[in-house]
Amino acid sequence: MKPLSLTLRRNAFCRIDMSPLTPDRLQGVTKSALAKIQLQCGRRQVTVGGLFDIAGQDASLVQIRRATDQLFRIGCQMRSGMIEISGHAGDNLGERMQGGEIRVRGDAGEWAGAAMLGGEISIRGSAGDRVGAALPGQITGMKGGLILVEGNAGDRIGERMRGGSIVVLGKTGSYMAGKMTAGTIIAMGRSGQHIGLGMKRGTLVLGRKPPMVPAGFRSTGPLKMEFLRLLFKQLGMSRKPLAMFKGFGPEAIRMAGDQSVAGKGEILVLLNACVGSAP
Amino acid sequence: MRINGVLIDDTFAEAFPMKATRLIITAMTLKWAYIAANSFTGFASSVIACGCEADIERELSPEETPDGRPGIAIIIFAMSKKQLIEQVQRRVGQSVMTTATSACFAGSRSADLIPLGKSMRYFGDGFQISKKINGVRYWRIPVMHGEFVCEETSGIVPAIGGGNFMVMAKTSRMGLAACEQAIKAIRGVHGAVTTFPGGIVGSGSKIGSKYKFMKASTNEAFCPTLKGQVNSVLTDEIGSVLEIVIDGLNEAAIRNAMYAGIHAVCKFGPKKGIYRIGAGNYGGKLGPYHFHLRKILK
Repeated sequence: MKPLSLTLRRNAFCRIDMSPLTPDRLQGVTKSALAKIQLQCGRRQVTVGGLFDIAGQDASLVQIRRATDQLFRIGCQMRSGMIEISGHAGDNLGERMQGGEIRVRGDAGEWAGAAMLGGEISIRGSAGDRVGAALPGQITGMKGGLILVEGNAGDRIGERMRGGSIVVLGKTGSYMAGKMTAGTIIAMGRSGQHIGLGMKRGTLVLGRKPPMVPAGFRSTGPLKMEFLRLLFKQLGMSRKPLAMFKGFGPEAIRMAGDQSVAGKGEILVLLNACVGSAP
Repeated sequence: MRINGVLIDDTFAEAFPMKATRLIITAMTLKWAYIAANSFTGFASSVIACGCEADIERELSPEETPDGRPGIAIIIFAMSKKQLIEQVQRRVGQSVMTTATSACFAGSRSADLIPLGKSMRYFGDGFQISKKINGVRYWRIPVMHGEFVCEETSGIVPAIGGGNFMVMAKTSRMGLAACEQAIKAIRGVHGAVTTFPGGIVGSGSKIGSKYKFMKASTNEAFCPTLKGQVNSVLTDEIGSVLEIVIDGLNEAAIRNAMYAGIHAVCKFGPKKGIYRIGAGNYGGKLGPYHFHLRKILK
């Protein structure tokens, strides 16, 4: 069976909530029934058949073609299967996702992987603010899974994060790992200001020295962190874009904090990362 | 049946079910991985008094280990899950964690789990850090050399203990030379280990004793000095008997190890003092696994 393919006919005139179209929700749904599914579009509702050309039947792989940033909440609460997005994805990509995989060839909007519980999101381009962060009104961000951003990412990455891993190969914005309580963030490019603010636990690995030692953090000097060998080897084996990690050594400067909140978090600045290879 | 002039007795080795887990120990260098592994597997020759049986399975290259450092795979066996958990925790805590630059990972997967880092983490006194990578949880315990990294759990798998064969030789020097080659050959078999010192048993035992407090006692039928005094199975020319006991993760591993070991011994032949190969059994009362020598060597 061919994968289920949804090709956007023309650019949407307003934001479309794509949350009903996850592989697990579409299992066993016929083509005609799929065409009749209603999607929220601003204050109106539109049908899938009215927006997309539908082809293929195998809903375990959903391909969204000619996607634009008007398509938001793609893969929301998804549990299994795969979504491939050709083009850009809007906000809230993989929000509260529990399993499966989302691949985006272009960019993603804000809140990518927000409050995510499991599965994998990989974004070939850049991502907006609040990757893996907590949703408005919630106290915990991402709790599990992996988010890979091959380009740059915005502010407040992993804010209130409680588990899982975020890897950004490019530049990152300010307030990264703010109020983080667990999990791992790896940011290979230049990072913004105020990183680790209010961080209680968790690990932030930086490929480049931050502009300044964050307030509330104390440096323990250069160390050989054997755990980094394990982390980089396992990540390097898991995905092709992360293969570059395999050669990274364990030497890092460790900064512990945020001591203003009696935090036991850590920022590890790699001493021998091949930063030139990051965008 | 004879191989290179060595008589193969028409008998069988009797083995029994055990529980086992494989662990991977890594360190900065292979030398230090060996130091940790040797310490872990020390005093683990027999469940009779050691609580477990353990040995090094093989060396691992950096490509084969989770953290990319040189490592050693070891297998530990016990009679019950409870006993295995107790022994693993003691030995990881006292032998692996205390070895400089070491780390410990699971080498077998199953639904039945034995805690590793899950119990070791308390040594971190609140400073320990848990990390989940690719779905596997690891513990980072701050220690004086840096960090002791330990996987949370390892899988408990059903295993077999007590596969064996006896090498009957003219002298102990001749028997030992042949057995050393057998141990080298068995080292190449995955999933099988020889847990006695040097892999060779110099004092094989039978179950029970005339003394009520003894669980096991000398196997007098195979003692050369008791020929003529007891119902000995040894002929006049045999002056020394050595036993190789093999524990394995499955029947095939034990069969392959016995095949490799016996063939290595038989290469010596009667001219170099190797006359017979036998096996230890207890009439089928001890265990459900019977490894018939002649069937294995066919």
